[in-house]
This record gives sequence, structure tokens and C-alpha cells, in this order.
Amino acid sequence: MRLTRAIVLLTLVWGALLGFATPSYAGDGPAAEVVRVGTEGTYPPFTYRDPKTNTLTGFDVEVMKAVGEEAGWDVRFVEAPFDSLFPSLDSKRIDVIANQVTINPERTARYLFSTPYTYSHGVIVTAADNDDITTLADLKGRKTAQTASSNWAEVARKAGANVQYVQDFGPGVELLTQGRVDAIVNDNIAVLDYLATSGTKQVKISGNAGDEVLEQALTFRQADPVLRQQADQALAALAKDGTLAKISEKYFGADVTVKEGSADVDVKGSDSRTRWEVIKDTAPKMLGGLIKGTIPLTVASFLAGLALAVLAALARLSSIRPLDWIARFYISVIRGTPLLVQLFLVFFGLGQVGIKLDPYVAAILALSLNVGGYAAEVVRASILSVPRGQYEAATVIGMEYWQSMRRVVLPQAARIAVPPLSNTLLSLIKDTSLVSLILVPELFHEANVAAALSTEYLPLYALAALFYWVVCYLVTLAQAPLERRLSRYVA
Amino acid sequence: MTDLIEVRGLEKSFGDQQVLQGVDFTAASGTVTVLLGPSGSGKTTVLRSLNVLEAPDAGLVRISDASIDFTAPPTEKAAYRQAIRALRARSGMVFQSHNLFPHRTVLGNLIEGPVQVQGRDVEEATASARALLDQVGLAGREDAYPSQLSGGQQQRVGIARALALKPEVLLLDEPTSALDPELVGEVLAVIRDLASENWTLMIVTHEVRFARDVADQVLFLDGGVVAERGGAEVLTDPREERTQRFLARVLDAG
Repeated sequence: MRLTRAIVLLTLVWGALLGFATPSYAGDGPAAEVVRVGTEGTYPPFTYRDPKTNTLTGFDVEVMKAVGEEAGWDVRFVEAPFDSLFPSLDSKRIDVIANQVTINPERTARYLFSTPYTYSHGVIVTAADNDDITTLADLKGRKTAQTASSNWAEVARKAGANVQYVQDFGPGVELLTQGRVDAIVNDNIAVLDYLATSGTKQVKISGNAGDEVLEQALTFRQADPVLRQQADQALAALAKDGTLAKISEKYFGADVTVKEGSADVDVKGSDSRTRWEVIKDTAPKMLGGLIKGTIPLTVASFLAGLALAVLAALARLSSIRPLDWIARFYISVIRGTPLLVQLFLVFFGLGQVGIKLDPYVAAILALSLNVGGYAAEVVRASILSVPRGQYEAATVIGMEYWQSMRRVVLPQAARIAVPPLSNTLLSLIKDTSLVSLILVPELFHEANVAAALSTEYLPLYALAALFYWVVCYLVTLAQAPLERRLSRYVA
Repeated sequence: MTDLIEVRGLEKSFGDQQVLQGVDFTAASGTVTVLLGPSGSGKTTVLRSLNVLEAPDAGLVRISDASIDFTAPPTEKAAYRQAIRALRARSGMVFQSHNLFPHRTVLGNLIEGPVQVQGRDVEEATASARALLDQVGLAGREDAYPSQLSGGQQQRVGIARALALKPEVLLLDEPTSALDPELVGEVLAVIRDLASENWTLMIVTHEVRFARDVADQVLFLDGGVVAERGGAEVLTDPREERTQRFLARVLDAG
């Protein structure tokens, strides 16, 4: 009976998941009021979590809130890494990006920009003892660390630099400090904020990245001219009544919302906490990410994945050839492609053809498909290890296929499958750290957010590692009693 | 009185080896039929044809009111499956290597079929299972797992499990061949009891002395056909030369 209930439960979980898979809010762009704003939350002082309140704040965030109020929108922020922002906009998971997006020809061809709300110039950052790189021309052939889809990456590429891609600015500086890259090109304000926050003497601003003044603006889909027009009207009003200038003074000690304004910015740094304060503040957030993100994702994906694995294993063992082929193909694809690619396909890929899954559902779908592919062969081998006589005994007492599977074969296969399946589970727990890339907040995401703000990479990532390790250790502890229970009949 | 079991023209090949080349026999209700013959003679295949663990290529199998003509089986899949189900429900089987369910207790093994397949009431099935355990001399071992029993006890549970389904025929496939010699006796004693209680039994065995005692009918198979048939006298006074040779060999070894 226990197994019956377990199978019914697995089927329900999987069924529910497929139920969710029907387009949830497909279609027609933003509703009248709700405007979803994509922003990093890891790029101080423009967009970051306030270390004390843990609420999203920053220059871009405040500007966006002011614009929303002026335009009468119901603004909702969605946090995601910079490289996920444009795919999210394309797949209509967000309606606008407020994240210091610099206007350039490539982007103008694909997106609509509001009027600029900041004017900045790029600077080159190098190690403090490096005097070789002071202009863009010096970057030729040198290694730089950039965010892949940022405008600064484009600037560095055009200068002939060998560009290494990083998730955001902070890790880039870390590479620079460690001597793994020679320079970074970035916005002068972001760099000044970083220098003030970290207090580092190991890197410096070595020169300007060209004379060009760059313009940053809110980014919309081409299909949303009305939103853009409303934003422009709001920005004009906010410029006129001094709101933009006020927000800018608050963050930068200067008005960067007008041309030439970025020359004399004075940045205090967004995070003045000590290392211990950072760790003390972040640990509960990571625990929250673990409890609200990592663990439920793991449990749901493992259950659904296990149900899939059993189905795939039975299909592989089926005498119906096409079922075997389908299962082989599925297993081969899952094991032959990176999980990250699978996540992006399910989330951004399906999003572009109108199947827009909630981030959690997309994460569970991708993770459970992955688990299913890996566990299927484990389950198959376990089923094959049950002696043939057991099938015959089930058959002669009159059992049909499913009944003999459920009552006789699978319970015995379970014992064999537990050790290898617990490996799969441990991998899954750790693999959930990837889903912050598709907008699902979990443990590692919290570590990233805090690290970006405080620049305390080593202690924060070590703490994240500790959390994962403890959870995995607890799982291994639970394995022994489970194995004992399943083996109670073995002499 | 019509026969309980009827087999006509049974044929079966594995690959290009024809194991059964037209086997015919009948067995009356309440009788013990012993199948014997050299290894490869097809006796186990005959037994496994009776509950379609092996689907014969041709021939008729009937037990009581359920029958399948494998020469022209039902073309419709559902009807064929239904016919197999009906035929299987008429017999119980005891395997050479007991094939008890290792993850269920002795009692769990006995009530699995009655409750899960026949849909009988758990309490009723449990009571009747206890009676059967008593009959095979294992009262009190209900809660043991098969791995905690001796080989002879395991095989007696196997017999009780087959009887729990209340079959019309009990098929026993070399029930003592896998046992240590000192454990054979206890299993044969149980089978002897069943015979004296007028169960209809079909036994594949090499225990010739035992067979002499219990057999109402002896079928000596060789080369895929019934080479000699008769009563227990086949075992003491065989007419066919190959039967004589076989018996001499088996009795020497025993």
C-alpha cells in the first residue's frame, strides 16, 4: 500500500507539473497596470539590496519607482543576472530593463530606449602596480573581464582586448586582483562605488575608456512603444521638477542625469559593514534561500524526476520498440547536454515560442527531466537485478504487468537502487545553485547578491559551500537507515 | 466422469530446437500425475504450458472449464489475455527454487495472491493462510521472512502459497531438486499428504521411489513425446527400453 501511495503521489506531482506547463501568462505584453522591471540587484550603487533592510534599492531602482509613480504603473521588480535580462525581456518575463543599459547601435536595432536618465563615461581599471594600460589602445591583446552582454564588453572587444566573460562586475575585479586578467572596462560610477565599498588598494582607475559620453536608458521591447512613450513623459516631468537630480545627488553627490554631470561624482560606497557584519547579515538570508528555494526545488524535482525515471526505465524494458526508442533518445539527450543549457532551453527557449513557465516551474521541469534521465538507467539496472523467478511467481498467482511491477519487482529493485540514487540526489542538491540564472532565488543567489555588494567573496562563498555540505551530509546520514529498512528481509 | 486436465498435440520450439513434438494426455480429478524423463525431454515445458509461462506453438490445453487452443488462439488480444488469465486461475505452481517474495513475510507471501489478485478479504485470507501453514507444519512462522527459513521450510511455504489461491490443480516443478538431501523428506511428506487428501497434482520429479508411492499416472517423456505411459507400474516394470535405461540410471544415482 505504501508503494501504491508513493506512485500515486509521484504521478500527481508530475501531472501537476505538466499542468503548469500550459502557457500561464502567454501572449500580449504587459497588462494595463503591472509593469515588470528587470534589474540585477548586484550592481551597486545602481541596483542592489540594502545591507540593513535587504530591500532592493539603488539609483536605477529609485528612478524606476519614480517613473512608475509618475506614469501610473504598478511596478514589480524581477532580479536576474545581467546576461539574463535581455532574454527575459525577449521572452516577455519582464517588460522593461532598468539596469544602466547603455544605448548602442546593436541594441537600438532590437529594442526601444527611453530618453537617457544617466550620462557616464567608461574607465579602465587595472592592478594598482600596472602603469602599462591607460588608454583603450593599450588594451589590444590584453585580457579583460566583462559581463558578456554589457556595452563595456563591446567597447573592450572593439579595442582589441581578449575578453573573458564574468557574471557581473564584482567577480571581474576579483579576477583582476588575482592577476588573472589585465584590465576591466566599466562605468566610472560603478567603479568608484566598488573602490569606496571594498577599500581596496590593489586596483585603480588607470584612465578613461575613450572620450565618448555614454547614455543609459530604460529598455523596452519594440512591440511596446506605448510603455516607452509613457516612460519618456514621466522622465521629462521628473527632470523638470528636480526629482532626477535629487536622486542622483543622493547616490553620487552629483547630477549624472544631465550631460557632463558624471565628471565630479563623489561616491561613498554602498556597503560600509565589516566582514563579520556581512556574514552575520547574509547567513540568515542564505538559510532562507535554502529553505524557500533550494530544498523545495530539490524535493519536487527529485520526486518528479524519480517518477520519470521509473517510466523511462519501464519503457526501456518494454517489448514495444518505439517506447524503447523514445526512452533511449530522452536519456541520451539528457546525459549528453549540460544542465545549464537544459535550464536555458526550458526557460528562455520555450519562452520565445509562447510557452512561458513560471521560473519555479521551469526550474523544477528542467531539473526533474535531468534527474529522470540520469536515474532511468539506475532504475533499469535495479529492475533487471530482480531474478526472473520473481516475475514468474507473480505471474502464476495471477498478477498483471503493472501489479507485479508495483507489488513484487519495484520494491525489490528499490533496495538495489538506493545507493546510486542517493548520488543523484546529492548532485541535484548542488545543481539547484544554477537556477538563480533563470530568476529563481535560492541559497547561492543570496550569496551572490551579498558578495556583489560587500566584495567579501571568500567568506560568503565558503559559507554557501558549508550550507550545501551540511545538507548533503544530512542526506547521507538518512541513507543508512533507509537502506537498513529496505534490506530488512535480506539474511 | 470427464478429465480435469486435457492436453492435445502440444508443440513447442525454442529457436530451432523442437522441445515438444505433440504431447497428449489427460488427468482425472483427484489424481497424481508424475512426469519424468531425461533432462531436455520437455517435462518442465509441459508443466509451464499448463499455466502459459511458456506459450505453446500448437495444441490444446484445458483445465476444468478453461481452455486455450494454441493452434488457433483468440485473435483479439484482450480475449487471448482473458483466456490466459482464466487458465492460470485454475492452477497453482511450486517452483524448483521456491521463488518466494523475499520482501514479504511468510504470511505476506500467502495472502498476496488471495488479497491482491482474487480480492478476498484480508482477515479471511489470513485465517485460511494460517490453516495452510499449520497443514505444512509451519504454524508460528507467519512473521518470518523467507531468508530466515531453511530450504525445506521455504519450499513448504511455496506449496502453501500455491494452495492459498485454492487452485483446482497444483503444478510442482522439481520441488525437491534444489534442496539439501536431508531436507527432501519433509517436503515430500507434505506432498504425500496432499495426494492423500485428493488434490489433483502434476509433479515433475526425479524421486522415483516417492513417485511409485503416490503416482496414479506416470508419463515418461523422451524426445518431446510421451514415450511411455501408465500407472505406477511404469516405474517398477517399464515396457520401453529407454524407460528402463532411464530408471536404471536414476535409481543407481539415488
